[in-house]
Amino acid sequence: MTIFEGKGLTVRYGAIAALTDVDIALEPGVVHGVIGPNGAGKSTFIDALSGRRRPSSGTVSLDGDDITRRSARWRRGNGVARSFQRTSVFGSMTVRTQLEMVARKNDEPDLDEIVATLGLDEVADQVCSEIAYGTQRSVDLAIALIGRPRVVLLDEPCAGLVADESVKMLEHVRALCTERDVAAMLVEHDVEGVFRTCDVITVLDLGKVIASGTPAEVRTNPDVVRAYLGSAA
Amino acid sequence: MSVSTIPDAAPAAIAPAQARRKPRWTLVGLGFGIAVLLLGLAVPFVVKDTFTMSLFLEAGLMALLGVGIAFLARHLGLISLGHTAFFGGAAYSVGIGVNRWELSLTAAVGFAVVVGTLLALLMGVLVVRASGMGFLMLTLALSQALSQLALQTSFRPITGAHDGLLINMPFDSTFLGLTPADIQNPGLFWPIVWVSLMVCTLGLWLVGRSRFGIVLEGIRENEERMRFSGYNTFRPRLAAFVLSGAVASLGGALFAINAAYISPDILGFTRAGDSLIAVLIGGTASVAGPLVGTGLFVWAQAHLNFGGNLHMFTGMALIAVLIFMPGGLTGAVQRIYRKVRR
Amino acid sequence: MNAAQVLNGIALGSLLMVLSSGLAMIYGLRGVTNFAHGALYMSGAYLAYSLSDRFNFWVAILLVPLALAVIGVVLELVFFRPLQNRSHIELGLITFGLAMITERLVIVIWGERTLSVDPPAALAGTTSLLGVDYPTYRLGIIVVALVMAASLVLWLRNTRTGLHIRAASQDIETAGIMGIDVDRVSLIVVSLGAALAGLAGTLAAPYVSLDPNMGNAFLIIVLIVVVVGGIGSIGGAMLAGMGLGTIQTITTVWSPPVAVVVPYLALVIVLLWRPQGLAGKRVS
Repeated sequence: MTIFEGKGLTVRYGAIAALTDVDIALEPGVVHGVIGPNGAGKSTFIDALSGRRRPSSGTVSLDGDDITRRSARWRRGNGVARSFQRTSVFGSMTVRTQLEMVARKNDEPDLDEIVATLGLDEVADQVCSEIAYGTQRSVDLAIALIGRPRVVLLDEPCAGLVADESVKMLEHVRALCTERDVAAMLVEHDVEGVFRTCDVITVLDLGKVIASGTPAEVRTNPDVVRAYLGSAA
Repeated sequence: MSVSTIPDAAPAAIAPAQARRKPRWTLVGLGFGIAVLLLGLAVPFVVKDTFTMSLFLEAGLMALLGVGIAFLARHLGLISLGHTAFFGGAAYSVGIGVNRWELSLTAAVGFAVVVGTLLALLMGVLVVRASGMGFLMLTLALSQALSQLALQTSFRPITGAHDGLLINMPFDSTFLGLTPADIQNPGLFWPIVWVSLMVCTLGLWLVGRSRFGIVLEGIRENEERMRFSGYNTFRPRLAAFVLSGAVASLGGALFAINAAYISPDILGFTRAGDSLIAVLIGGTASVAGPLVGTGLFVWAQAHLNFGGNLHMFTGMALIAVLIFMPGGLTGAVQRIYRKVRR
Repeated sequence: MNAAQVLNGIALGSLLMVLSSGLAMIYGLRGVTNFAHGALYMSGAYLAYSLSDRFNFWVAILLVPLALAVIGVVLELVFFRPLQNRSHIELGLITFGLAMITERLVIVIWGERTLSVDPPAALAGTTSLLGVDYPTYRLGIIVVALVMAASLVLWLRNTRTGLHIRAASQDIETAGIMGIDVDRVSLIVVSLGAALAGLAGTLAAPYVSLDPNMGNAFLIIVLIVVVVGGIGSIGGAMLAGMGLGTIQTITTVWSPPVAVVVPYLALVIVLLWRPQGLAGKRVS
């Protein structure tokens, strides 16, 4: 059952199309991976879905209602959250202060659970700009998860993390998605991580979808192998 | 879109990280503030010569303007060159209210604060979406628009244009029990100015420590993430701008009844610069910054103005502070204190 | 309204064009609003007064921009470059302090009274144009400014240095990574911006009266021009400068009080309608 959908999304920067006619459908409890080489339009795609950039054409819908022109704030209030590739936290605040601030706006019943799951107990009273980068990534994720959003769009949560931090981060995402029945989209550079974690995968290249399906289907798709895995593997 | 590692936002020295807000410290701070308030009331009994007392009074009035500017800098990282519009706008409103509509002094002061606050609302709607450099330029431009309007020859009957505005103080009217003659006596007017200043300072300090203050800090640190966390970021910024404008307006209104004359300079470019420079020299990181800075500025104006070079010294002081002592005097004291404690 | 008034508007617009393109260039590159730009313009005018007094106006128009370019080099080497890692606001406020110091220096050197400069003999008198006798010197301003603007645009479009400047204005860090000598580009831009301010001051000297307040008064208008044109956009600044100058002068004929608020009104309208300015980047 699809709750969040992007249809025919196209984003143009002047004459250049960064994204052409891309579709995606997210379902609760399913982690949907989006991969693609550099410049494939992954960031533009998540921006278009999350309301950071208005698509030149195409629609975004939530529960079947068109929300293409709704603000980021409206989307968050109605259960669509996102995280950021460039760590986006509140540097001068303690971890606890900022999580409580976001929780006040988004009615989070059990902030302690999020803090515990992401292992943020120990740093809760430290100023965010002074904690380790990997931990800041977790804070970024925590901010997106507060208030039990139904749809979570994650922009490269593993960017800049070392291998085992990366594995842990994806395990968190997987677990949260399953436990909370969240419809998650995971844009990621780490291809193997995506194959391990996701239920469905969409592959972008040069702003277009070149394959979509289960990890097994995508892995053997000749276009994907040619455009992407061939060079990476 | 260009992404720079040097953000166009205020530097950490201007808008610092907040200490943790423990309720106990709020009470301690409040107690300290009230003690300072009470101590300050004794100034007229200690300072006997009228000139020095008038300097205290001037500093107190200017500090209200500075407290407003510093509040925005501290909590939103926004540097305003436009608060003279609210200070000066309120001062003119007192004059216009008294001269044209024969308002009582109390009514005129109330009217002036309302007008100044409305001006802040109007300007705020236009400028709070901007940040950094844009905000600086826009506040300067819009405040100078008001200055140009006040200077218009066709408004001479209302504003006095280049001649300024002499306020015909109504001799039968009183302000909080003070007659116009009392108001012009620095020792007698001081308690009103000092209490206003301290109440505003402490009030804004409490606002900064409230949940609203946390929201402002969130917007200052990461406006985009605030929106993506479900917060409206325009309204809190506007509210903070209006609040700081209201404090500046109160300063302007009290200034007007004390001076009984408004020079058009009050809205001018130089005054806009001076008000900000006083704040920056004092430092915006602590609540004491604008008080220290304005006090020093007024003292220097009275005692260091040999050969008309004050303006140049002010410029030099500004540059020196920005280069060598970002965070101003109070910022430097805080740094030394932290070093000593370690 | 007659042709003379339109030409007056174009003459003022020309000055604004020269002055604001320099400000926009420096902003585009360093991200700093140079609040000393009005002071540079004023220094240019006063220097032109002294030089045309001692030699003649033509010497002034050659030497003043050069002198100001040197001041620009000093500005870059002493302030902009060593402090480039500081926040833009701090740098902007430093230029504010420099403006205050310059103003006082001008008073110390030239005094506070109002001065005037005679236009050069070759451009004295009037020329018959579009059915009116119009002061030849003002036509000269228009011609010099237009030639200046055109050559600046061509230079930015067609030369290697111009390309580097445009690239660095887009994104100074990436430009640096791509191998562009950002320090050199910045030195050129700041000294050129200062030279343009000097040129504007020189051109203005025989047209307006010189007083120590002339810089501030003009600075505000130039700031507005740059915001209206789109911060950092040189073309936008030129267009907005010409447009505002013309509109303001023409409005003066019709109603002086309205004319005074025209730039501010334009600013408000543009902010509400197009916060990123007529061309270029968002007000940030």
